[in-house]
Amino acid sequence: MENIIEVTSLQKAFGSSRALKDVTFSVKRGEIFGFLGPSGSGKTTTIKILTAQLRPTSGSAYAFGVSTEQLNSEKYRQKVGIITDNTALYGRLNVYDNLKLYCDLYGVPYQRIAEVLQMVNLAGEEKKPVSKLSKGMLQRVILARAFLHEPELLFLDEPTSALDPVNTKHIHEGLLLLKEKGTTIFLTTHDMNEAEALCDRVAFLNDGEIRLLDSPKKLRQQRGEPTLTVELADGSMVIVPKGPEGADQMFRYMSSNQLVSVQSNHPTLGDIFVEVTGRKLA
Amino acid sequence: MTFSTRRIFAILQKDYKDLSRNLFVSTTLIMPLLMAVLFGRMGIEGIASHYLIINLGFILVGAYVQSSLIAEEKEKNTLRGLMLSPASTLEIFCGKSLLSFIATAVVVAGSIWLSGYNPRNLAVIAIALVLSAVFYVGLGTLIGLFTKSVMEASVVIVPVMFIFSSGSFLTPFIDKYPVLAVVEYMPNLQLLELANRVEAGAGLGDVLLHLLVILAWVLVIHAVAAYVYKKRMVDE
Ligand SMILES: Nc1ncnc2c1ncn2[C@@H]1O[C@H](COP(=O)(O)OP(=O)(O)O)[C@@H](O)[C@H]1O
Ligand SMILES: [Mg+2]
Repeated sequence: MENIIEVTSLQKAFGSSRALKDVTFSVKRGEIFGFLGPSGSGKTTTIKILTAQLRPTSGSAYAFGVSTEQLNSEKYRQKVGIITDNTALYGRLNVYDNLKLYCDLYGVPYQRIAEVLQMVNLAGEEKKPVSKLSKGMLQRVILARAFLHEPELLFLDEPTSALDPVNTKHIHEGLLLLKEKGTTIFLTTHDMNEAEALCDRVAFLNDGEIRLLDSPKKLRQQRGEPTLTVELADGSMVIVPKGPEGADQMFRYMSSNQLVSVQSNHPTLGDIFVEVTGRKLA
Repeated sequence: MTFSTRRIFAILQKDYKDLSRNLFVSTTLIMPLLMAVLFGRMGIEGIASHYLIINLGFILVGAYVQSSLIAEEKEKNTLRGLMLSPASTLEIFCGKSLLSFIATAVVVAGSIWLSGYNPRNLAVIAIALVLSAVFYVGLGTLIGLFTKSVMEASVVIVPVMFIFSSGSFLTPFIDKYPVLAVVEYMPNLQLLELANRVEAGAGLGDVLLHLLVILAWVLVIHAVAAYVYKKRMVDE
């Protein structure tokens, strides 16, 4: 599969502090790639380099086969959408006028406004002044703005960090819809549930280094204990080995009709993060 | 470098809607007009007095309103959105300058009418005023790029107003300190000199040099602003 982003030995120093130490990864076309790491780990720095807002100290970053140093071209910016932690709207204008400006900037017909508002569950809110929007609505309008031109590649820096679960769910649905349409998404988060719900692959970032990179499912399976937690009819919970040594036990529970539920013992991404880095995500 | 009028007018339209709801800035537009009415009532005479009001329009509307428009985009983090869009630097600059330019033109024309200034050669004066307006808008862009907030821009504009006020406070010292002669090349003094000569009967050919000096200021201020903008696009 074609790589949309190629990052090799990327380093970024701010004075003597090294924000990115040696970061290498690639993002495939069509996937949702997650950068999971605690605050200060270098997520925003990576996005800024990839969107040509910051120059790397050394190493290379390519998007669409072009070095990001040369990515300040209008052609590239037409293909990407960017939402960072300080993306903002015009407060004195209403939702429609904010989106209309971006339709003009990206050469998109105005009919698209109703479509993207639908995607973020804000249909009919066109006339609302942006200054009167709740934090959750604001973030959804920002997301709608990034959806306007159906970017091939979308960068999202902690898109749901300030949102409640209901709004987060809307945004996640919108992102999955966009992925279905072929958008590649590069997303940073410190929320392991978000990474798990959305990402095809995640990289664990800690102190400017990638410590682990794989699909959430594989990460959990590789590190899962080979046991099952079994709930019995009398309400007790029993741990049973997954291998042949547990087969007899399971057979007994099942034949005597004692089995209520079975759960595989996988650690969460958060557990794995702590295991690998010795640090908590939040 | 693309040049799309759709993008430019979109930014202009956005700025217009935004400004019409911004009392703080839009009240600034009225100040030069009030002064003009006042001066008109008092029946002032003399080119210098007229250009005092015209200059006020240039600085308050051309430079100050423009600097606020740019500084606010920075303060509220909206400039980044324009930068990251496919709009070229030229389109963003034109779009972001157009509203201040139009407002300056309207306010200066209005104050000329209200104060009863009747140039002897309107065409030449119009060219000089348009060039000057473009210069002051460029100055405003530069101030906006250097300041971080509308508040800061409001502070910085004070010394700027002092430096570019009509009939510079430095001119009386030129005889004593010849080095200060460079002051005469300031765009505001060039404009005043040009106006005086037009009033004395000079034509386009006679004041061409003054126009060229103002044009040079226009080019320099915009080149510097573009350079600063490009630098600001990439954080270090
Ligand atoms: N402009 C800057 N100047 C100095 N240090 C910075 C700058 N930007 C980020 N840093 C530092 O780089 C590190 C990584 O920051 P960042 O990429 O913002 O982390 P994250 O987005 O994962 O929270 C932090 O230690 C931060 O303090
Ligand atoms: Mg960050």
